[in-house]
Amino acid sequence: MVASADRRMRLWNLVVERAHGVPATAGHVGAVVLTVAGVDAVAVTLVLADSPRENVYASGRLAADLEELTTTLGEGPGVDALAGWPALGADLTDLYCRARWPVFAPAAVAQDVRAAFALPLQVGSIRLGVMDLYRSRAGVLDRDQLADSLLLADTACALLLDETNHGEGRRPEGASLQHPEVHQATGMLVIQAGVSAAVALVRLRAYAYAHDRRLRDVAADVVARRLRFHRDPEEG
Amino acid sequence: MTRPLLSDVFIEMADTLVDDFDLIDFLHTLTERCVQLLEVDTAGLLLTDAEGVLQVVAASSERTRLLELFQVQAAEGPCLDCFRTGTAVSVDDLSRAGRWPRFTEAAASAGFASVHALPMRLRTDVIGALNLFGVAPGALDSERLRVGQALADIATVGLMQQRAIRRRDVLSEQLQAALNSRVLIEQAKGLLAERLQVNVGEAFTILRSSARTRNRRLSDLARALVEGTERLPRPGPDTRTI
Repeated sequence: MVASADRRMRLWNLVVERAHGVPATAGHVGAVVLTVAGVDAVAVTLVLADSPRENVYASGRLAADLEELTTTLGEGPGVDALAGWPALGADLTDLYCRARWPVFAPAAVAQDVRAAFALPLQVGSIRLGVMDLYRSRAGVLDRDQLADSLLLADTACALLLDETNHGEGRRPEGASLQHPEVHQATGMLVIQAGVSAAVALVRLRAYAYAHDRRLRDVAADVVARRLRFHRDPEEG
Repeated sequence: MTRPLLSDVFIEMADTLVDDFDLIDFLHTLTERCVQLLEVDTAGLLLTDAEGVLQVVAASSERTRLLELFQVQAAEGPCLDCFRTGTAVSVDDLSRAGRWPRFTEAAASAGFASVHALPMRLRTDVIGALNLFGVAPGALDSERLRVGQALADIATVGLMQQRAIRRRDVLSEQLQAALNSRVLIEQAKGLLAERLQVNVGEAFTILRSSARTRNRRLSDLARALVEGTERLPRPGPDTRTI
């Protein structure tokens, strides 16, 4: 628990450092993943409902090329991770990966990529996109690399949701299962405010920022029916 | 509640594991069978996330108080000790144990006096723990401890069953999938609680029985409800949907 809080703080400091004084974005998070996960390329791609995949961060040419490959083929870890959990390909030349991604795996290997890992940017039913990690060396992400990467993916989600909230550099509260009331409150807001789950969570987070309260405390008030949200006529 | 036969429970579990099954529903059933077979009052199953933090994925009761207690368990308590050491931790009488002050207080306010934690082991990894609570002080005899450990092992097998886990990366995928399903289910619980004006515990019962009636995975139905692509018929004569 304490170790986890330390990890969050350490990683958030790296993101802030990377942002050089401007509000942190998912792109800055991607750049930090590149350094902590021991990989050679990282990309952040948004996959919103009814829109084509949109690459918002690529660490370099290789990352951009592989994102384009995934989009063109409609196959690869970056597609599988949309199901809501990581797709981890530790060795793209082994039977398991070749059977799983018959077109993507050899195409990536042809670009000297031997391992590909995709992490969902997703909060339950709220799909935002994927974070893709590529490495020229085969092998799994070790425990710390995976834990750091998953935590940073969680941070990227929070930043994507908060883009309109002007968090002013505050460390965004992630959306783990540790506080189920946040997710319950999201579901309740879908009905109360008549919005999608994504908008519901954005509004919940915006309210917490505006009132300088913790997200989990605002959520607990909603679940206990001490706080209600209403339909907002200006809500797009 | 009548106590089911041990053999019946194992046959039920084995039958489920053969087909394409609903993991979260399976784990919930398992916690309910723990309560019946082991004569404890509540059971919960916690899995580790990538950071090594324990998260509750199934419990025999979805009472909010209880879920709060599980949250405390992630920070201190017999369950965490069990997870860290990979061995069973049995506390017959919490008030006399003199350890884990925060957990003891939370357990007492939720009405529990005894707690037992059994590890979910996979080869050299400990991936979670089965937690058993009693309202009265009392030991689990060696026979019930053995059965409890076997049920914890079945939960591990269930988690590993959906794909052959020979690789650590697939284990990570599977654990994250279970945790993500749980987030989805929490969102759907909130949605149903608001539509029906019930509490989130009751909402879970409705969600689960609806998934069973329709032969759907809990997480699939939860997603459809939250995305608004599906609605449930209102219980009773009212034909409007919820």
